[in-house]
Amino acid sequence: MSILTQNISKSFGKPAIKVLKDINLEIKNGEFISLSGKSGSGKSTLLYILSTLDTPSTGVLTLDDKDTSKIEESDLHKFRNLKMGFVFQFHYLLPELTALENVLMPARKTNQELLLEEKAKTILNEFGLIDKHTKKPSQLSGGEQQRVSIARSLIMEPEYIFADEPTGNLDSGNGKLVMDIFKKINKTRGTTVVYVTHDIEFANLAERKIYLKDGKIVNNL
Amino acid sequence: MLFLALKQLFTQKKQSLLALLGIVLGTAAYVVISGIMLGFQLYIVDQLINNDAHVKISAKETYVTPESVEENLYSEHQIINWKVLPSGRRDNTSIYHPQGWFERLESHPAVMSYSPQIIAQVIARRGKSSVGASIIGVNPEKQMSVTNIKDYIIQGKFTDIGHTGNKIIVGDALLNKMGGAIGENILLSVGKGNPIPFKVVGIFHLGIKGIDDTLIYGALLDIQQLNSTPSQINSISIKLFDIELALPLATQWSETSIDKVESWEQANANFLSIFKMQDIVRNSMTISITVVACFGIYNILNMLVNQKKREIAILRSIGYETSDIRNLFVIQGIILGFIGGLAGLVIGFLICVYLSTMEAGTGLSAKGGTMLVSFEIMIYVKAFLLAFIASLIAGYLPARAASKMTPIEIIRNEAE
Repeated sequence: MSILTQNISKSFGKPAIKVLKDINLEIKNGEFISLSGKSGSGKSTLLYILSTLDTPSTGVLTLDDKDTSKIEESDLHKFRNLKMGFVFQFHYLLPELTALENVLMPARKTNQELLLEEKAKTILNEFGLIDKHTKKPSQLSGGEQQRVSIARSLIMEPEYIFADEPTGNLDSGNGKLVMDIFKKINKTRGTTVVYVTHDIEFANLAERKIYLKDGKIVNNL
Repeated sequence: MLFLALKQLFTQKKQSLLALLGIVLGTAAYVVISGIMLGFQLYIVDQLINNDAHVKISAKETYVTPESVEENLYSEHQIINWKVLPSGRRDNTSIYHPQGWFERLESHPAVMSYSPQIIAQVIARRGKSSVGASIIGVNPEKQMSVTNIKDYIIQGKFTDIGHTGNKIIVGDALLNKMGGAIGENILLSVGKGNPIPFKVVGIFHLGIKGIDDTLIYGALLDIQQLNSTPSQINSISIKLFDIELALPLATQWSETSIDKVESWEQANANFLSIFKMQDIVRNSMTISITVVACFGIYNILNMLVNQKKREIAILRSIGYETSDIRNLFVIQGIILGFIGGLAGLVIGFLICVYLSTMEAGTGLSAKGGTMLVSFEIMIYVKAFLLAFIASLIAGYLPARAASKMTPIEIIRNEAE
């Protein structure tokens, strides 16, 4: 299992502004990778292209040896549902659902919500949220909401987790807690974790640190 | 997506209730307006059908023509040069061969009953007042078997006119016009004939002004004598077992007779065209109300779509497809339309029940004088379908817009 980019570029607007320039990158199974750089460096754009939420303007993205431009839209949806988990800076929980119902939303797509309910509770327990599983997002703190969204990303046991500034909206204590969770997921489950951060300290927690500048990878350590 | 749609509807209680209110009012308005208008129409149709006839045979009015005069007065070898062409309507038009009609009607399986009549225009006088009126000479038993006139007699009995004896039953408005009362004599005259006294033995009230202030019923023999047309009739009212056969039978009989044969629809074409116009106005009005109500649903769902952009982004990113997002909002439109439509039907029905107990105040009916409201099932079916389909469309438009949003566009816009 791997993600491979070949000469990927991405442009926006008219006249076109290139935010990513000829990115060549291979992400292997089980890696723990940070994408960092200044604002406008293209790190979030690269994350969304790697996670198939966005498409490159030029170049090829290969997922498990398949060119994503040739994969049917419905198969990409299935792929995202079963093999990818997403965590965003603003949590993006569904406000009308409880913590448990939010965690089970990916499972609901494939009608497995009843089957996976116990597992969802186990994950919430692991994240110290079992006593809050009936609470709605508005009744949870920012750190708790982010942990719920991480639990949601794990429910389908994905091979990849993509996180865009997962600590950006949290205080340092909660930010560290979230990063510890990601590290644990990577170590214990072997899940590939790719996260965007502008925080050097959190970026340095990764085993592989990719630094972008003006749309190009300038460091890949 | 039903689970999430229900959750969203119940969480956004105020918005959902507002949307519901619009559709409830639209549906209830349709039910009430249709109930009142159709109730009135049904009443008028009932009057037209049951107080007159399903099919009416009458003497064809004939006109004097040069050909008809030449044929009767001159041989075919004579050449006539008219200085003034003969013209005018023939007097005393009567049904050509009534006995033939009676035999035909008695043996016809579709005919329930028939009533021979003589109709004449009279001048009614009482004291110094004189009023033009129509008088119908009938056999009371036969007339009652064709119409439900006995239900509209407010004083006396219809059979009181008997078979002879110069007794009449008069419309209440006509009698009021002359200042008369039951038991009094009224002088009736036809054309230049001598006035003959007739005793008022009953009063009727149909609720149709044009009839109540112009019509008098008398015995067939008496009116034939008054009209100086003994043994003649100029009209036969027919009641059928199945009213749907009125038009085809009238058309069929008309083709094989020199008399004029009309079904109730043909005789009252002007009323029916007014009803058609009323229907157009009623439907346009209520459709407009429902469309406005659906704009409410559209606006609220549109607002919901805008508020739920983040949720749409996360749903799309965790594998939900465009059709799932579309369904999420379409289902909400359907639920609002279903619940709103049902509630509208119930409220509309209750308002109609209340209205039907209210005094009409116009003396529309002799049967109690309350508002005439229709509870026809099709009103309710149409109202519900209108609400439901309109809500479906109102829900579909924002749903389609929502399904077209890509997660990355939403996330980027949020970040900006």
